[in-house]
Amino acid sequence: MYVSYRWLGRHIDLEGLSPEQLCEDLTLSTAEVEGMEKFAPHLADVCVGLVKQRVPHPDADKLSVCTVDVGQEETLTIVCGAPNVAAGQKVAVATVGTVLPGDFKIKKSKIRGVPSQGMICSVRELEIGDDHDGIWVLAEDSEIGAPVADALDLNDWVIEIDNKSLTHRPDLWGHRGIATELAAIYHRPLKAISFDWPEWGDGAPYPIRIDTPACPRYLGLPIDGAKATPSPDWLRWLLLAVGQRPIDCLVDLSNFVMLDLGQPNHTFDRHSLDPEGISVRMAREGEGMRTLDGEERVLQPSDLLICSGDAPVALAGIMGGESSKVGDKTDALLLEVATFAPAIVRRTSNRLGLRTDASARFEKSLDPTLPERAAAHFARLLAEIQPDVRFPAPPTDVGEWTDPAHTLTLRPDRVRQELGKAIDDEEITAILERLGFGVEAQADGYAVAVPSARSTKDVHLDRDLVEEIGRIHRYGNIEEKTMLAQVAPPPKDPRRNLVRAIQDQLAGSARFHETISYSFVDDGLLEKLGMLDLPHVRIVNPVAQSENKIRRTVIPSLLSGIETNRRLLEDVRLFEVGKGYLPNPDDPNKQPRELHLAGLVWATAPRGPEARFDAHTFNQLQGLTTDLLDRLGVIEVQWRPAAPPPPWAHPAKALEAVAGQDAERLAVVAELDPGFHAALGLSGEQTSEVAIAEISLDAILIAPLRGGRYSPLARYPGIKLDVAVALPDHAAAATVREAIEKAGKGSVADAELFDLYRGESVGAGRKSLAYHVTLQSDKKTLTEKDEQKFLKRFEALVGELGGELRNG
Amino acid sequence: MSDPASGEAGTPGEADSNTDSSADASADASADASADANTLADAQAKIFACDDVDALKAVEREFVGKQGVVAQLLASISKLPPEQRRGVGQQANALKQGVQEAVQNRQQTLAEARVAADRQGEGFDASLPPPRPRRGSLHPLTQVTRELEDLFQSMGYTVLDGPEIETDYYNFEALNIHADHPARDSHDTFFCEGDGHLVMRTHTSPVQIRALETLKPPLRVVVPGKVFRHESTDASHDHTFHQMEGLVVDRDISVAHLVGAMKTLLRGIFDRDLEVRLRPGYFPFVEPGFELDARCPFCQEGCRVCKRTRWIELLPCGLVHPNVLRAGGLDPDEWGGFAFGLGLSRLVMLRHNIDDVRHLLGGDVRFLEQF
Ligand SMILES: [Zn+2]
Repeated sequence: MYVSYRWLGRHIDLEGLSPEQLCEDLTLSTAEVEGMEKFAPHLADVCVGLVKQRVPHPDADKLSVCTVDVGQEETLTIVCGAPNVAAGQKVAVATVGTVLPGDFKIKKSKIRGVPSQGMICSVRELEIGDDHDGIWVLAEDSEIGAPVADALDLNDWVIEIDNKSLTHRPDLWGHRGIATELAAIYHRPLKAISFDWPEWGDGAPYPIRIDTPACPRYLGLPIDGAKATPSPDWLRWLLLAVGQRPIDCLVDLSNFVMLDLGQPNHTFDRHSLDPEGISVRMAREGEGMRTLDGEERVLQPSDLLICSGDAPVALAGIMGGESSKVGDKTDALLLEVATFAPAIVRRTSNRLGLRTDASARFEKSLDPTLPERAAAHFARLLAEIQPDVRFPAPPTDVGEWTDPAHTLTLRPDRVRQELGKAIDDEEITAILERLGFGVEAQADGYAVAVPSARSTKDVHLDRDLVEEIGRIHRYGNIEEKTMLAQVAPPPKDPRRNLVRAIQDQLAGSARFHETISYSFVDDGLLEKLGMLDLPHVRIVNPVAQSENKIRRTVIPSLLSGIETNRRLLEDVRLFEVGKGYLPNPDDPNKQPRELHLAGLVWATAPRGPEARFDAHTFNQLQGLTTDLLDRLGVIEVQWRPAAPPPPWAHPAKALEAVAGQDAERLAVVAELDPGFHAALGLSGEQTSEVAIAEISLDAILIAPLRGGRYSPLARYPGIKLDVAVALPDHAAAATVREAIEKAGKGSVADAELFDLYRGESVGAGRKSLAYHVTLQSDKKTLTEKDEQKFLKRFEALVGELGGELRNG
Repeated sequence: MSDPASGEAGTPGEADSNTDSSADASADASADASADANTLADAQAKIFACDDVDALKAVEREFVGKQGVVAQLLASISKLPPEQRRGVGQQANALKQGVQEAVQNRQQTLAEARVAADRQGEGFDASLPPPRPRRGSLHPLTQVTRELEDLFQSMGYTVLDGPEIETDYYNFEALNIHADHPARDSHDTFFCEGDGHLVMRTHTSPVQIRALETLKPPLRVVVPGKVFRHESTDASHDHTFHQMEGLVVDRDISVAHLVGAMKTLLRGIFDRDLEVRLRPGYFPFVEPGFELDARCPFCQEGCRVCKRTRWIELLPCGLVHPNVLRAGGLDPDEWGGFAFGLGLSRLVMLRHNIDDVRHLLGGDVRFLEQF
């Protein structure tokens, strides 16, 4: 909301208070000031000039040559193109050297041969209005030579207050409300304003009927003889300062009263209203109306309407209807000043996306006692500006409103305890009184009468009064205190520890980069990964329609950036620890199932044929995941084909890790389905091998963990030997490993596959597997004999597999 | 005896003739024996001429190898008359000793020369860039979150987690933001499909209620997490960002305690005492509510970060609203508390001077690898 410094001066004496000071104090005691600007700063740069003579330009029909007195010894010659310039006018002159809006510097020049020593300005050139038909003609008594801002008393500053910090303060949506705060802050009295009604005639009150509780109060005042003439300067300037374009006296006054007191109001053309008068009712299903902005609105029974007879003429509290628009020729008016149910106004304005100055105020719960004062204010001001207006009848004031003013009990000890400062009773009561609260001592403290303006929404608890006292006393005057509390060790947090362990391991030796991505996933991406048809939690109002789903897993987001990163890097390793959500299958309105997941994606340029057999990202990632699970202490981990494989996975190259036959899947490691590469941009130069792992933190948290016990060190030296077997290609490596175990009869401490070879020397359809084997006994030192026994048994077992030992 | 090294080392061709065959050697044995002194001098000269270990080895073999000069001498002894045998034996041993000594000396000299040469550091380029192992990285949000978690834990706070998809009740209703409350506007909520009861949480504050429901007072908790606001995005706004909620519930909590706790917190974050100011701020779940500003840690006279005001808005906070305590099942006459919210995304941006919030969740390795 914009607040004008000069406007505040109508309500409180600002003597000695700079605009900067005001902003600082409002920020510290009342609401956040977002900024302050000098109003129409260029008015200080131009001066008042008197046009002494005007003659036509010798060489140009549309130009005239003016002799202008700007209070200097010499008069200036200025060439002017405006049709309305005339001798005897006081005008705004930009002399040579002045810089006008748009960085337009006035220079000495020659226009069609005639020298010109300045410019006579229009309001548009000074950025104080749209009018560009001609130059700006100033009041006759303006002092020649003075800066226009001074001559017209237009030195003003515009203060912008953050609307959010006024959400709970309907009373601050007008200048008088802000002035009330200043009165409390600066110990200055508010200037009195007369809210007495002007005289009215004894005509019949205008008929008004309320058919709904959504309108607690409706006050209608008939006005005759009002004219839509331009507003007086004082009114125009104040409105301009707060960013309102002056229109005519009737519109301007309506705005002025709203911005002055915070009470929106509306004027109808009485001639266009039904003789039955005004009725206030809820809309009917299917009803429609055209609002002042020309839009056709489809209404719902939750919308509140002002009707003429039965026809809608305004969307209550939001916008008038086009049909009853006050035109230039209107002279019979009905002024509406009402109170509407805030929730009703808010819902309609939200639904229609129609936010107006009026709706913003009504939805904050306006004081129902305010309409009377606002209507009187309007009437008095109008009568001052247009002495010929008449009020043919007393106002019609209907509705079942009640004064919300109420009384709270305040115990001053409570104030001191909650603020943590010994503020004495005297200051407590003084602050409240300055803010307009009534204070009376009673047995258990004070009875505090809350004024109606603060009663609708804001002040309901004694805690609310504590805030009033604290902010005017200034929170900055409260010294800090140390809290004493028993500090016990925090409870163990296995999930958080797990997250940290995973992050450290992956970002550490595994050399993955941690990323954090959006929870919304794009339809296009889901489709590329075959996941579009899976049930997702959906968003009604997504940022983009294609991003209306909440991720089930972190994998799609990880894959979304893979192409961009691969363009820059040969080897891209990303991981994310985050949440996925599965809609509640029983009731989509219940909270969805939350999954705690870690996702890993590893994409590299394809490994060449000469690469080691286990150099592929898939093997590497499986190894890394195995190691990770091991470091996390999970035991009994087994890998088996993933059943079913995740939608993004290669249907065959997908493995899952479990700890126990029926246990939950701890992790799944897979290659990206080769069918998805092209769609993800992984072709051409970005052709990649991509391995993905998804790890379930939830499953790890319930998996069997290794205890902290150490294994005793071997007491006898072991034997290390290498064995290589050639066997049919289809034989699984696991069978060889089993044969090693079996041949070792419990003495195999380790067997590491170090080579896998296919080629001429082993023959077609066959492969060679080579292992480093360590034999170890805890009873004796193993000898060459033991090694020979092992080899003999192993050879026999390999033979059963259709293979043979290779030498070397 | 076809060691190419001996050829390369420039061993004179005559040496070869010496080693050719033991059969012919007997005829010249006496002549050879008489040439002993010359032979040792010859060996010493050859040894001294060696510039590397391989050449030295070859010379050594030539004289004291299995079929070297010394071996041939000894082999020839049996064919000599007995009176000569002793003298030739002694000569052979003397030659052997002399050669071995010379080789050892030469070896030592060569080793010393090698070390001396090595120490010259010839060919060393001090500007050569070292190979750098690539490394992984923790997201800057993770780093800041961890730091704060640890800081708060050291002050007796428990770290809690909460769901990102929340019910209307926890996100709004229980926090004193009833339906039709204008404060809902500023929350720019993403609504989930269904009957409207599920929303993407707009703040981490719902965990206040969850904490009150599950933990017994007095309590101190912080809740880091992801939150969502339906805002148009630009360099300083994103629809998804990270916050950390704090809640303290105890008896006799006052604004003064809140100020003290916040100052301690800022000291922990910025490693120094920052001047702070508390001003009114409106959040329906606290009363009174504040914005806490801190003196801009980046400037003396105003800068881009503080928008030239010298204050940066850091922490919305306040005393817990009695209605919130009630919603959490506590009696506001018995218990009080304060709550605060820290913008983690904002802290990360401040700390690393990041000018576009969208980098945080953008997943670009060029960004991530910097942390
Ligand atoms: Zn600064």
